[in-house]
Amino acid sequence: MQQYLFMSRSMTTAQRAARLLERNGINANVVKAPQKLSTNGCGYAVVIAGRYYEAYKLLSDNNLITGKIFKRSNSEDYREVTG
Amino acid sequence: MIYLDNAATTLIKPPSVERSVVEALRTMASPGRGGHQPAIKAAETVFNCRVEAAELFNVSDPEQIVFTMNATHALNIAIGSMVEKGSKVLVSGFEHNSVVRPLYAAGARVSAAGRRLFDRNDTLNDFESKISGNDLVVCTHVSNVFGYTLPIYDIAELCARKGVPLIVDASQSAGILDVDFKRLKAKFVAMPGHKALFGPQGTGILICRDGGRPLMHGGSGADSKLTHMPEYMPDRLEAGTHNVCGIAGLLSGIRYVKEKGTDRIFRHEQKLLNIAKEKLEGIECVEIFAGEDQSGVISIRISETDTEEAAQRLGEKGICVRSGLHCSPFAHRSAGTIDTGTIRFSFSTFTNEKNVYDACRAVREICKKDR
Repeated sequence: MQQYLFMSRSMTTAQRAARLLERNGINANVVKAPQKLSTNGCGYAVVIAGRYYEAYKLLSDNNLITGKIFKRSNSEDYREVTG
Repeated sequence: MIYLDNAATTLIKPPSVERSVVEALRTMASPGRGGHQPAIKAAETVFNCRVEAAELFNVSDPEQIVFTMNATHALNIAIGSMVEKGSKVLVSGFEHNSVVRPLYAAGARVSAAGRRLFDRNDTLNDFESKISGNDLVVCTHVSNVFGYTLPIYDIAELCARKGVPLIVDASQSAGILDVDFKRLKAKFVAMPGHKALFGPQGTGILICRDGGRPLMHGGSGADSKLTHMPEYMPDRLEAGTHNVCGIAGLLSGIRYVKEKGTDRIFRHEQKLLNIAKEKLEGIECVEIFAGEDQSGVISIRISETDTEEAAQRLGEKGICVRSGLHCSPFAHRSAGTIDTGTIRFSFSTFTNEKNVYDACRAVREICKKDR
């Protein structure tokens, strides 16, 4: 099971992103981002399970990629996704 | 009781507003602060209100919607973002102290355009002749004293043509008239939540073109290691925990307005305004301030009767109106009523025709008694 975290610059942007994904049939949740991934301390992220490329395109097309993207598989730690 | 002080605060709200406030009080915590259910529920409510407000006012992104305590708070942020000491600022002749005082406090050099009541040509021509050389225009959409609806879209066009940024005070128009942010091309549009948007007191909205200067600094729930407010919106202008209960009520109020439609609300208030004009015109001792381009607000004076005393006597008859200067000495100077003030009747979608007939009858009784 793979999880993708789209780090977001703000709660509002994360909410916009999650709503866009939900509207397009991709389950998405807004969560508090892990501290180790939040450069400036406390942040929000959108989490999806799978359908990464579809989600990436939707968010990218709507200027909603505002931070780094991380991937986690099962018990692995987060790894940054580039592109 | 007949409540005709809706230009200050709408007292009668859609029932959904009250329900939402209570639900928020019971189930919602700090939005954007925690990951638990009550915090997420609060954040969803705040976000939904941004989305609905953005739709109502034709704003591209919900990030451009900033929640404030009231229109005064919103105007203080807007003016504080645009004005430096010595800035030249042109305002209409009908501004509220929520515009005038922050401008003077910031050290602006203020001049006024268009001081003739219900004369849109004079307003527009005067703005046209005075706008050059100004750093900013601040203009109300509707006078809170007289209901005069200024030609705001023409003024906005003029500002855009001359390259002068615009701040619009939509305190008396939001929820009644078309307030179209894209068409206004304004830097900021400020409005209260507690008037025609039917939110509770303690709510307001500032629509921002592209950011602003924070008036308050503090926690925003994100980027906590930074010693300054984040650059991104709306967090940049929203320090501290939101008024979630108020915003929940405001969300229901905005939904009510959208469902009912501003056109319908405006038509209803026009009908009441016309009844008031007709009935008050028939009373000899009453001086009415009425004209074209008037929204659901009307001011009167009763000859040889102090405006505050008249309002007090109307209050004793169960009719709630506002008297005096309405925090708008600028408008009263323009209209020549600065020494007396006026008695103001203001309607809402919950005011009915009988309310207006009864209020006019009460005015007639006061006149008779004083003669």
